[in-house]
Amino acid sequence: MSTTTKRPKLAAVATTFFKYSHAQHIVDRFLDGYGWAGKHHRPRMDLVSLYVDQVNPKTDLSRERATRHPDMKIYPTIAEALTLGTGKLAVDGVVLIGEHGKYERNEKGQTKYPRWEFFEQIVDVYRKSGKSVPIFNDKHLSWNWEWARKMYDTSRELGFAFMAGSSLPVTWRTPSVEMPLGSRIREALCVCYGGVDSYDYHGLETIQCIVERRRGGESGVKWIQAYRGTQFWDAYEKGAWSRELMESALCRSHTLTPSRAGFNDTLPTTADMKRLVKDPVAYCYEHTDGLKCAMLLMSGLVRDFNFAAHVEGQRRPWSTQMYLPMPDGRTTLASFFSPLVNNMEPMFLTGKPTYPVERTLLTTGLTAAGVDSLFRKQVRVETPHLAIKYQPTKESTFWRT
Amino acid sequence: MLSRRLFLQTSAAMAAAQTTAPKRLAIITTIYRYLSHAQHMGDRFLIGYPIEGAWHKPNIKVVSLYVDQKPEGDLSGVRAREFGFQVYPTIAETLRCGGDKLGVDAVLIIGEHGDYPRNDKGQVLYPRYEFFEQVVKVFEAEKRTVPVFNDKHLSYSFEKAKAMVDASRRLHFPMLAGSSLPVTWRLPAFDLPLGCRIDEALMVGVGGSDPMDFHALEAMQCMVERRGRGETGVKAVQLIEGDEVWKAGEQGRYSKALLSSALSRSDTPLGLSFEDSRPQDMVRDGVLPKLVAKPAAYFIEYKDGLKATLLMLDGALKDFNFAAKVRGMPEPQSTQFLLTPVPNVTYSACLMHKVEEMFESGVAPYPVERTLLVSGMLESCLTSKVQNHARLETPHLAVSYKAPAKSQFPQT
Repeated sequence: MSTTTKRPKLAAVATTFFKYSHAQHIVDRFLDGYGWAGKHHRPRMDLVSLYVDQVNPKTDLSRERATRHPDMKIYPTIAEALTLGTGKLAVDGVVLIGEHGKYERNEKGQTKYPRWEFFEQIVDVYRKSGKSVPIFNDKHLSWNWEWARKMYDTSRELGFAFMAGSSLPVTWRTPSVEMPLGSRIREALCVCYGGVDSYDYHGLETIQCIVERRRGGESGVKWIQAYRGTQFWDAYEKGAWSRELMESALCRSHTLTPSRAGFNDTLPTTADMKRLVKDPVAYCYEHTDGLKCAMLLMSGLVRDFNFAAHVEGQRRPWSTQMYLPMPDGRTTLASFFSPLVNNMEPMFLTGKPTYPVERTLLTTGLTAAGVDSLFRKQVRVETPHLAIKYQPTKESTFWRT
Repeated sequence: MLSRRLFLQTSAAMAAAQTTAPKRLAIITTIYRYLSHAQHMGDRFLIGYPIEGAWHKPNIKVVSLYVDQKPEGDLSGVRAREFGFQVYPTIAETLRCGGDKLGVDAVLIIGEHGDYPRNDKGQVLYPRYEFFEQVVKVFEAEKRTVPVFNDKHLSYSFEKAKAMVDASRRLHFPMLAGSSLPVTWRLPAFDLPLGCRIDEALMVGVGGSDPMDFHALEAMQCMVERRGRGETGVKAVQLIEGDEVWKAGEQGRYSKALLSSALSRSDTPLGLSFEDSRPQDMVRDGVLPKLVAKPAAYFIEYKDGLKATLLMLDGALKDFNFAAKVRGMPEPQSTQFLLTPVPNVTYSACLMHKVEEMFESGVAPYPVERTLLVSGMLESCLTSKVQNHARLETPHLAVSYKAPAKSQFPQT
């Protein structure tokens, strides 16, 4: 692939656009630039069109952005945003942001964000134009596995570059370390926070971006089992995941809720954790090659994403925090969207993804299967459909510069 | 300079510490209240702390405590009862644990927080020198010394700070001091190459004087001390305020490219970013004068010719960021010193880990002269402030030292 010399034109297709929405964070970085490698970086491409599905006049920022950046026009349909009113595909790349907004929830508690529906409208333009361009899809592909798989298959069928995912794999790490390629990982977990069908996915991406570097690469997942509430604690007591790894992950946190009044930073006991975490959720799953992983949502105990793994040949757990400078009072910018945009840019310039979309296909399936296990009263769910094989990138793609 | 051999010795000492009798620690502090430095640093020796992905319990036993003031919320008595140590009414008794001989193996001095007056330069007159002097008196009387850590700058007065360092040299006891910023996480995790040539350095900080400007100056110093053949001291300083700060930028007294680079590391730009979270190119857009009502520039002229500037920019951002132009590197080198959130303030665990290392090995992991120099730089800048912002020659700040070869911020 050769690097495009002219500035690519991009379209953004978003559910909604308000302060701190994913669309705001991502689109603003294309329009206004962002701090990168010690400079205010401006992407070598132009975001020329925007579609917003839900506009709340009280909170919307897309109109202000369009006024301030007249080269970006707002279109009433996805097709028009892609054709710029010409009737044919007229952009060189598409950013699909199906996060936030008022969408129905299904009986399993999944918000039916219309990522697949948006994607279908995008590829409809591709098919009609006889031409396709790269797509970045924010977060997981679809809440519905079948549709997610179709998104992936369509990208392969039409032969366009496709990237997706969360900020967690690409953000800062404290410490700034990478799992050596080819490591023999025996067990891995993430201690994080947030809700089901939202931050569970981020926790899964946190784990996956590390464990995919293990010997042999990724081979997929055989089964998953979710635990919630008292069953979470029963699983913990029975050793469904390693306590040593859990403690190591907790020791990477910057936001441990103190378990005793008057102390600012304490290691919680089991009793403390049971008291502090009202609604714990675990997704335990086994990869095809035998690797066992656990994603632990422990809201009330931490407000960050911490990873730990047992690696053969290492006496102590390997651990780090995927550090998100969160705009929850700590920051104003949610700068973790900067490495996400910075990883999209090369794809729009060269047509080559910076990391494999199969990672997100797998975590999409894991999220749906985890939700399914919870819905089916926390049974083990076999996941033959998640026999997804891929190899990681040799170069690390997390934020280091 | 910490050689590889010394480093290995230090690591060995830390490992050996776990199998030997615990070292006895005295804590000397102004106040011990929730989220005071004494609490979040002292408690690390009582209940342990997270480091390198594990909960580490130092093989150190706090045996005695002195608190100068007991305001509402004082925790000294509660801690003493729970952890089985005594609170003594004087520093001498604290060091002797109520007996007649030095009864501790290490001393932690935390003279931060509490109700103390300020001088005309705005410096809080924390009694760090006075505490230290009493510690030294015991050392001299006993003809025995133990390692001492002093939190933050040594004293508001360079003369007193110098006397503290001189005493540690005269009596040959290990001494460490300073802020958490040099040892906290960096975004990115980067250090200047040892021996590099720095053309210019710039630090952006926030908060009041004199607590927060000290942190910012020490963060800047831990970066620039790695240049050339090491630190040789400061020959002049000047502090300017208000619109003069912006004029100085226009006149090239500090590099706007470096300012832009430092600000590009911030996660907390204010103004429009606060309003609607958009990223800003604050220098190009010229928004700083609108956001910062009371800017201050601290100009530091080093003896070897290096010029460094600290800009205190309250209203523009909320974090601490550094940038430098390094010879042979086309782009500015910059990083954020990450101050992790309250209440964990895990950066203080990073600092106490260094303190523990000194207590165990008897070797300070980085030179106390850094903090001595910064204490003096700060005092002279604040003198400049009250002397009509005059440039002041600082022959007394000819403080020489070598930076540690090994980077001291967390990387594992």
